[in-house]
Amino acid sequence: MKPVIRIDGETVSPVSHNTLVEVEPGVYSILAGGASHEVRIEATRVDAGQVTVAKRRFDYQVDDPRQWKRSGDAAGGQGRAAILAPMPGKVVRILVAVGDEVEAGRGIVVVEAMKMQNELKSPRAGRVAAIHAGENDSVVAGAVLAIIDPAPDG
Amino acid sequence: MFEKVLIANRGEIALRVVRTLREMGIRSVAVYSDADRAALHVRKADEAAYLGPAPSRESYLNIPRILDAARLHKVDAIHPGYGFLSENAEFARACADAGFVFIGPPASAIAAMGSKTAARRIARDGGAPVVPGTEEGLGASPEGRDAASEFAQSVGFPVMLKAVAGGGGKGMRRVDRPADLAAHFDAASSEALRAFGDGRVYVEKLVENARHIEIQILGDRHGNMVHLGERECSVQRRHQKVIEESPSPLMASMPALRQRMGEAAVLAARAAGYYNAGTVEFLADNDGNFYFLEMNTRLQVEHPVTELVTGLDLVRLQLEIADGARLPFTQDQIALRGAAIECRIYAEDPANNFMPSPGRITQLAEPSGPGVRLDSGIYSGWNVPLDYDPMLAKLIVWAGTREHAIERMQRALGEYHIGGIRTNIPLFDAILRDPAFRAGDLYTGYLDELLKQPGLLGLPPAPELAAVAAAAVAAYVKPAAAHAEQPASSPLLTGGRWLRGGRGDLLR
Repeated sequence: MKPVIRIDGETVSPVSHNTLVEVEPGVYSILAGGASHEVRIEATRVDAGQVTVAKRRFDYQVDDPRQWKRSGDAAGGQGRAAILAPMPGKVVRILVAVGDEVEAGRGIVVVEAMKMQNELKSPRAGRVAAIHAGENDSVVAGAVLAIIDPAPDG
Repeated sequence: MFEKVLIANRGEIALRVVRTLREMGIRSVAVYSDADRAALHVRKADEAAYLGPAPSRESYLNIPRILDAARLHKVDAIHPGYGFLSENAEFARACADAGFVFIGPPASAIAAMGSKTAARRIARDGGAPVVPGTEEGLGASPEGRDAASEFAQSVGFPVMLKAVAGGGGKGMRRVDRPADLAAHFDAASSEALRAFGDGRVYVEKLVENARHIEIQILGDRHGNMVHLGERECSVQRRHQKVIEESPSPLMASMPALRQRMGEAAVLAARAAGYYNAGTVEFLADNDGNFYFLEMNTRLQVEHPVTELVTGLDLVRLQLEIADGARLPFTQDQIALRGAAIECRIYAEDPANNFMPSPGRITQLAEPSGPGVRLDSGIYSGWNVPLDYDPMLAKLIVWAGTREHAIERMQRALGEYHIGGIRTNIPLFDAILRDPAFRAGDLYTGYLDELLKQPGLLGLPPAPELAAVAAAAVAAYVKPAAAHAEQPASSPLLTGGRWLRGGRGDLLR
C-alpha cells in the first residue's frame, strides 16, 4: 500500500509529473505540466517535517498504513499542559506560583536566549500544578518548565 | 598603510572588514570564542586568535584578552566593528595606550556622545535642533520620579523614557498616561542598570508618527568633514531596525531637506571633535521638521545601503582616515545614485511571536544576480550559537529607482532559503507587498501597526503547489522509487537519504 501524504493536515495526492530529480540532498526539481518547481524538504522526524515550494512552507506528515499510529495527541486534549522551553536558554523570571489560577494566555515563565526575552504563556485556563525551573537556571530545548492542570469546569 | 589589522568582532561584520582588508593587501586577524571556532569570519581571515568562553564578557567584550591577541599577532591597528566594544571609550583609549591604532573616532568623542544627555547638549550647542527633554539623567529615586513627572506634565503626554547610557532600544519606554509614569520609569531604569551598569533615565517629548532618518558622516583628522546622505530606518520592531533604505522616500518631496539635515549632522559631529565614520540619528516629520536623537560613534549595521548609493567603501575610507589620510573628495563631489534597501535576516520566527531560533543550518540557498549584495555570517552546517545577537546576514539590493529596488528585493528573497532554523524572511515578503511601504508612507510605529493585521504572513491558498510538495515528499520517503527516476550518477544521494532517515530515528 502507498503511504498517505498529508500537507498541512489535508490528504493530498502528489501532482503527476514528467520528471523528478533530487538535485541536492532534500532538494527536488520537479517538471510538471511544463512548469519547473524547486521543492525543499526539511525532515524533523522520519515521517514528518516541512516542505517549501515557491515561498510557501507546508507541514507534511506521512502516514504509512503498515504501521500502527496513535490517532489522538495528548497535547490537544483536555489533560495537563506542559510549558516547554522552546530553545536552549536561561530562565529569567517565574511569573506564577504553584497553586495559582491562570487564564489562557497568562505568562508563566520568561526565558532568555540570543539576547531576547520570551514570555511563555499558558495554553489554557487552569491551575499551576508544578514549576520545574528556578530563576537563572540554564535549560535545554524541550525541558519541562511548568505544568498546568485544567480548570475544574473545563 | 597598516600591514595587519585585528577585527574585535564576529559574524558578518568581521567578515565584511576581512574582505576590504584583503582588497587592500592588509593581513586580517579574526578573534573567536568557544562558540565561534567554526564561524565563517574565522574561516575567512588570514589569522585567528582565541579569546575565551562563549559569554561576551569573557571574549568579545574582554579588553585585556583582545589586546593580548593583538600583541601576539603583532597587528598595527584594531577595527571594532559595531556592537561589542565599538562605542567603548575605554577600549579606544586602551588600544592607543597599547600602541595600536583604533580604527574609529577619538575616545573623547565616543565618551561625549556615549552619554545621551551630554550628546543632546553638544548637538544643541552646535546648532542642531533637539527634541524637548530633561537636561540631566534621573535616578530611580522619589526625586527622579518627581522630576520626570514634572517634565512630562509640562510638555504633555505621551513621552519617551530613555537610558542616559542607552543603545539598542534597552531602557526605552513610551508613556501615554500620567498614571503609568512611575512604573515605566522604574522598569526603564532597572533595565538600563542591567544593560549598561547605569540606571539613569531621561525624559523626551514623544514626536508622534515621526520617521527615523539618519545621516552618515565621514571626517578626517585634518578637519575635513562631509555627509554621505541619509538612510531611512523607520521600519522597526521593539526599537530595533528591520529594514533600512537610502534615499529616504521623504526626500523625493523635500529636495532641500537632505542638505539641511546633512549640515546639522556635520555641525553636531564637529562640536564633539569627531573624525572617522559616524552616524547622526534624527526624528523627522512629513513637514520637514527634524530633531537630533543621538550619534552612533561607529560603523553601522546598515552602512551598505550608503555604500551602494554613493559607490564608496566605507571600511576602506575608515582605514585610510585612521592611517592619517585626507578625505579624497569634497561635499560637492558626492553624488547619490539610484536606491538601495537592506533587510536584516534574523534567526527568529515571525509566525511564533519572533521567538529566537538558534540551531544547525541544514540547507542554504543564497540569492545572487543583478544588484544583489549579501553580507552573511553563516554557511550550511553552521550551528547558530544562542550566545549572541540573532542576526544571520544582511541582504542588500540596489536598483535605479526605489520601485525597482523593492521588486529586486522580492526576487532576491525568493531565492533565499535557510533550512533547519526559522528566519524572518516571510516578514519581509509581507512588508514589501504592503501598499503603505510601497508608497514610502513610513513612521517608527509602522511595523507594529502592520503586525496587527490578521493573516499578515499568509499567502493565498495554492492547492496546485501542495500537490507539487506532496510529489517531493513521496520521493523523499520512498528512496527506491525516486532512485529509479534519477540519473545514474546519484547513488551517493540515495545513501545520504538513508543516512538522514537513520539520523532522524536517533534524534526522535
